[in-house]
Amino acid sequence: MLVGRKGGVVVSMPRAVRADLEQVFRSAYPRVVAVAARVLGSRSEAEDVAQEVFLTFGRSAVPAAEALGWLSVAAAHTALNHLRSGRRRAAREAAVRDGATSVPDVADAVVTLDERRRVRAALARLPRKQAVALVLRHSGLSYAEVAAALDLSPGSVGTTVRRAEIALREELNRHAPSE
Amino acid sequence: MRHPNDGTLRRLLDEPAGVADADRAHVADCERCKAGLAAAQRDAAAASAALDTEVTVDVDAGWQRLSTAPATRVRPSRPARRWRLRSPVVAAIGVAVVLAGASAAAAGDWLEIFRTERIAPVTAPEADLIKMPELDEFGELTPIEPVEIRQVADAAAAAQATGLTVPQVTDLPKGVSGQPTYHVGARASALFTYSAERAEQTARAKGHTLPPPPPGLDGSQFRLTAGPGLAAMWSEGRPTPGLVVVRAVTPTAYSTGVPFGTARDYLLSLPILPANVAAQLKNFSAEGTTLPLFMSVEHMKSTATDVGGVPATLLTSRDRTMAAVLWLNGNVVTAVAGPLSGDEVLAVARGLGAR
Repeated sequence: MLVGRKGGVVVSMPRAVRADLEQVFRSAYPRVVAVAARVLGSRSEAEDVAQEVFLTFGRSAVPAAEALGWLSVAAAHTALNHLRSGRRRAAREAAVRDGATSVPDVADAVVTLDERRRVRAALARLPRKQAVALVLRHSGLSYAEVAAALDLSPGSVGTTVRRAEIALREELNRHAPSE
Repeated sequence: MRHPNDGTLRRLLDEPAGVADADRAHVADCERCKAGLAAAQRDAAAASAALDTEVTVDVDAGWQRLSTAPATRVRPSRPARRWRLRSPVVAAIGVAVVLAGASAAAAGDWLEIFRTERIAPVTAPEADLIKMPELDEFGELTPIEPVEIRQVADAAAAAQATGLTVPQVTDLPKGVSGQPTYHVGARASALFTYSAERAEQTARAKGHTLPPPPPGLDGSQFRLTAGPGLAAMWSEGRPTPGLVVVRAVTPTAYSTGVPFGTARDYLLSLPILPANVAAQLKNFSAEGTTLPLFMSVEHMKSTATDVGGVPATLLTSRDRTMAAVLWLNGNVVTAVAGPLSGDEVLAVARGLGAR
């Protein structure tokens, strides 16, 4: 809802679902889930994010040629947003951890889970552009694709990714569990 | 030669072909750059391991889920269009409020001739609504406090800027996620001076002749105010917001010494107002407390409902792609709107904290 001419309230009607949705979905869905999974560390949550992103895409007028880049960035942002509101997930993981203490066999799984939690927390603390560039690059997007998606020059993608990797290492070290 | 920067070293790991030959040659012979490259490689490998999540996807199941989601059920394609609620400010600063204003005002003082106590839909075919004149076709409209909307950091800043309680959405509708952005506008006001000459020009341009205006109307002034107001918008990753919650102080109109009943009857009788709109406005113009909400009968439907026991108006688009619910609490109007179903906007409205 926007304030329109002379202060009136103007509401945009959503567009009808685009005709190429299925075609784009079938080719881009694995990539979109993979991007979200790198952020969230969970397939089911990544699938939820992918659904959300394709719902939005379905009503958008994004040109088909730019669809993959647009979807990848939207998946990274949406997943990072989910991290911010991730208290429920943290609670769920804690519940799994508590349950696991009585089952020594899954001790490894608990370690993995804790490691994942620390990675998600570190990602959530990175500057948004760095986090998105990092996730997109590690999801297999080329420098040119990351540059186009984030409106960066290809030359600065390397710098942004490098800074993100340093920041991720520092964040993980800072919050490393004390042995 | 200058050492290549960290970004270039990083790219050398992934896309050596994207790095200039001179840089590649330099790195091969430079101990410092080789150490930098090794450090970049360690960090890249660590990040890759940290982010790696094995995922196998079922595209068919994913498509099945998406294609049966309510929002993507196939609808006939049609060009995007916009509908306008000519309120609150347009209507307030528009003909409608002036027309709906009831009491006459004494000379010399600003007297309140209109305040919003009720919102009522005025439905008409879209073609008629397009024909509705804007106020500046009847005179001079001068902004005193112009409409200025700006984004603020958070709900607390929105509350502080407007003095309004910010509604808290507890459960977002399916498909809407993330944090809202907050936008505020200070009180807006404008001065309208009726001009018989301008009105005459407007009428002539539309092929009509106006009867002579009643004495005193030419040059008489109205002051119209609305706001402050705030909006919370959920639009992450979307071309249009997925949910909007708006709260604002409702419009008020003041007049200096116009025999208002006469003026209103005159304006409502003008041939340039669509007859069906004029007839609906006449129905509640005597009260001076009803804000008309113009909507096209082809696209929108209004239903009386309630939010927390307060009477509310639910607007839904006939193609079920858009819904809004509005209600008044004192002189404050709250609206919840979005590309959602009527039930969804009602659920958000009824679940609002600080209602």
